[in-house]
Amino acid sequence: MILQTALLIGLVVFSVLAILLKDLLRSAIALAVSSLLLGIIFFRMGAPYAGVFEISVVAGLITVLFILTIALVHKGDEVRESRLVNWAFPLAFVVFLVIDALVMKGLIGKVPALASGAESGTFGEVLWKGRTLDLVGQIAVILAGVFAVLALFRKRDKHE
Amino acid sequence: MSNTWYLYLFFSAALVFAGLLGLLGKRNLIKLFICIEVVGKGVSLLLLSTGFAKGSMLTAQALVITYIVIEVSLVATALALIINIYRTTRSLDIRGLAKLKG
Amino acid sequence: MIILFVVLPLIVAGLLPLAGKVSRRVLPDLLANATLLFLLVYAAVAGRALIAGGPVLHQSSWLGEAVGIRLALDGFSLLMLVVVSLVGLAASLFSIDYMEHYGAKGNFYALYLVMVAGMNGLILATDLFAVYVFLEVAAVASYALVAYGLGHDELEAAFKYLMLSVVASAFLVAGIAVVFGMTGSLDFAAVASGLRELNAGPVLGIASALFLLGFGLKAALVPFHAWLPDAHPSAPAPISAVLSGLLIKVSGVYAMTRIFLNVFGLTPALSTVLLWLGAVSMVVAAFLALGQKDMKRMLAYSSISQVGYVVLGIGIGTPLGIAGGLFHLFNHALAKGLLFLTSGSVQQATGTRDLDEMGGLAKRMPVTAVTNLVGALSISGVPPLNGFWSKLLIIVALVQAGHPVFAVVAVLASVLTLWYYLLMQRKAFFGQLNEKWAAVREAPFWMTAATVFLALLCVGIGILFASTVTTWVQPAADILADGIHAVAGSWGF
Repeated sequence: MILQTALLIGLVVFSVLAILLKDLLRSAIALAVSSLLLGIIFFRMGAPYAGVFEISVVAGLITVLFILTIALVHKGDEVRESRLVNWAFPLAFVVFLVIDALVMKGLIGKVPALASGAESGTFGEVLWKGRTLDLVGQIAVILAGVFAVLALFRKRDKHE
Repeated sequence: MSNTWYLYLFFSAALVFAGLLGLLGKRNLIKLFICIEVVGKGVSLLLLSTGFAKGSMLTAQALVITYIVIEVSLVATALALIINIYRTTRSLDIRGLAKLKG
Repeated sequence: MIILFVVLPLIVAGLLPLAGKVSRRVLPDLLANATLLFLLVYAAVAGRALIAGGPVLHQSSWLGEAVGIRLALDGFSLLMLVVVSLVGLAASLFSIDYMEHYGAKGNFYALYLVMVAGMNGLILATDLFAVYVFLEVAAVASYALVAYGLGHDELEAAFKYLMLSVVASAFLVAGIAVVFGMTGSLDFAAVASGLRELNAGPVLGIASALFLLGFGLKAALVPFHAWLPDAHPSAPAPISAVLSGLLIKVSGVYAMTRIFLNVFGLTPALSTVLLWLGAVSMVVAAFLALGQKDMKRMLAYSSISQVGYVVLGIGIGTPLGIAGGLFHLFNHALAKGLLFLTSGSVQQATGTRDLDEMGGLAKRMPVTAVTNLVGALSISGVPPLNGFWSKLLIIVALVQAGHPVFAVVAVLASVLTLWYYLLMQRKAFFGQLNEKWAAVREAPFWMTAATVFLALLCVGIGILFASTVTTWVQPAADILADGIHAVAGSWGF
C-alpha cells in the first residue's frame, strides 16, 4: 500500500510537471513517465492487461504521436505562457488537494454500494464475449480516427 | 465501498483537476492537449479503481482498454487538427484562434 | 436484425476508399446514399411492426454462443432511428452536389457513415458504457467533419469543439464510474433495479450532476453552449444540418433522457433542473439569435433555443409534456436540417453568409426561398406546420402541470423566434434583388431535391400531425413516461 501510494504521488507529480514544463519535448516525456507509473499502478492493482495497454499504448504510441507533432511544428515560435498562471496554478492546485482530502475523508462510508458477485470467466471471455459491443465500437472509433487523419491531411488543391 | 477506493478517488480527482486547471490557463495548443491527456489518466484511474473496489477487475480492465483505444483515436484527430492549424496560422497560440466569438 | 443499423454503415464506410478508387464520381455517392435509404426504409416500414409486441431485444450469437452485443429497440429508439435516417439521408443527398468542391468525397462519406453508425449505436445500446463508446465514435467523426474545409475558421471551430467535447466526455465516464461503483453493473436494466434497491439519494445526485454536465454540453444547453455557435456555422452545410439536427439531439438529449427517465427515474428535483435549463436555453439563445448577421450563426443559436424547448417539454415529466418534447425534437431535426441545407444552397450560390449582403434572392432561387420559408415557419411554430403542434403540446402540458409562468415564457420565446426568422427570410430572400446576385442560379438538382424532401415532410407532418403523433411519438412517450419500469423488467437479458 505504501508503494502504491508513492507511485500515485509520482503519477500526480509527473502529470503536473507535464502541464507546467516550458519545453514541449520535456512535457511529452514527463507525460510518458506518468503513463509508465500509471501502468505499474494498474499492474499492482491486479490489472495486468490494462497495465500493459497503458504502458504500450499511452506511454508508447501516444508519446510517439506527440513527439511527431512537436517535431513537425517545432519552429522556435515559442508560445509565451502567462506568468500569472505559472504561480497561480501550484497555489490553486494545493488548495484543491486540501479540499480534496477533506471531501474524501468525509465521504468515507457514505457511498452506498451493492455487494457484487464474483466475476466469472477469463479476461478474454469477459472482453470478447462480455463486452463485444465495445469491440465493435473500438473498430468504429479507429475507422473514425483513420478517416479523420486522411481527411485532414488530404491534398489541398482547391480553396473554399 | 472500501477505504482504498477513496484513496484512489483522491488521486484521480487531483489529476482531473490539474488537467482542467491547465486547460483554463495554458496557451500552447499542444500543452492544452496534454492537459486533456492528464484528465484522461484521472478518469481511467477512477474506472479501474472502481472495478478494484467491486472486485470486478476483468470488466474494469475491458472498460479501460476500450477507453484507451478511444483516446488514441482522439489524440490522432486532435494532433492532426493542431498540425493543420499550425500550417494555416504559423502559430500554436490559442489566442490566435480568437476569430470566432462563441 | 437491428444490428444492421450499426454494422451496415460501418462496413460501407470501410469499403468507400476502395470504391473511391474504382470510380471517383458515382460509386461513393451511390453506396452511401443507398445505405442510408435502406436504413430509412427499414426503420420506417419494418420498425413499427417489430415493436408492436413490445421492445425488440437483440442478442447476437457467434457460432452458437451468446456474445456480448445486446441491442434494444423500443418506441423511443425507433423514433430516434427514423429521424436520424430521415435527416441523414437528406443531408447525404445534398452532399452529392455540395461537397463537390471540397475534394475527397469518398473520405467525406466514410466519415459521415461512421458518424451515423455511432449515432445508431448510441440509440440502440443497452449499457451505459456502450452509450459512451458510440457517443465518442460519432464525436470523433464529427470533429473531422467540422474541420473538413481546412480553412482557418473551420479548424478553429473544430479545435474548440473538440476541447470542450472531450472534457464533457470525461465527466460522463466519471458519472458512469460512480454508477458502476454503486450498482456493480453497467447494463440499463441491472442499474435501474440496483439503484432502486439502494435508494442512493445524494450520491445519485452527484452522478446525475456529472451526467448533466456531460450531456448538457453535448446538447449545447446554456451555459454549456459556447462551442456550438462557432462549430455549426463553420462546418460544411450538410454537416451543420446533421450536427444541429441530429448529433446534439442524439448524444445530448436522447442519451440524457434515456438515462434520466428510464434508468435513474425522474425525480422532482431533476425535473425542476431540466425545466430551468430548458427555459434558460430557450430564452437566452433566442435573444442572442436576434443580433446575428451571419445566417448560419443565427440558425445555430436557434438550435440552442429549440433544444431548450425539447428539454423543457421532457422536464415536465407528464406524458403530454414528454410527447410534446419528443415531437418537437423530431420536428426541429427536420426543420433545422432543412434550414441549414438551404443556407448551404445560398452560401454556395452567393459565396457569403452575411445577411446584410443578401437581398431578393427569391427572384433567382425561388425553390430555395420557399423551402427556407417552410423551415422557418415550422420552427417558429406557425400553423399548420409541424412545429406549431409540438410547441402547442409543450405549452399546454406546461399549463396542465401547473407551470403557467414557464408557459408564458415559452410563448414569448416563440414570438421572438418568429421575429428573427422573418427577419432572416426578409433580408436574404425578399426585398430588392441586390445586383451582385443577378447572375445567381437555383441550387443544383440534389441540393434542391433534398430541401424539397424535408420541406414536404414538414408540411405533411403538420397536416397529418394527429396520426404522426399517435403512430410515432406516442409509443416513444409512453416508454419514457413508464420510467424505470420500461427498462427494468422488459430489458432484462
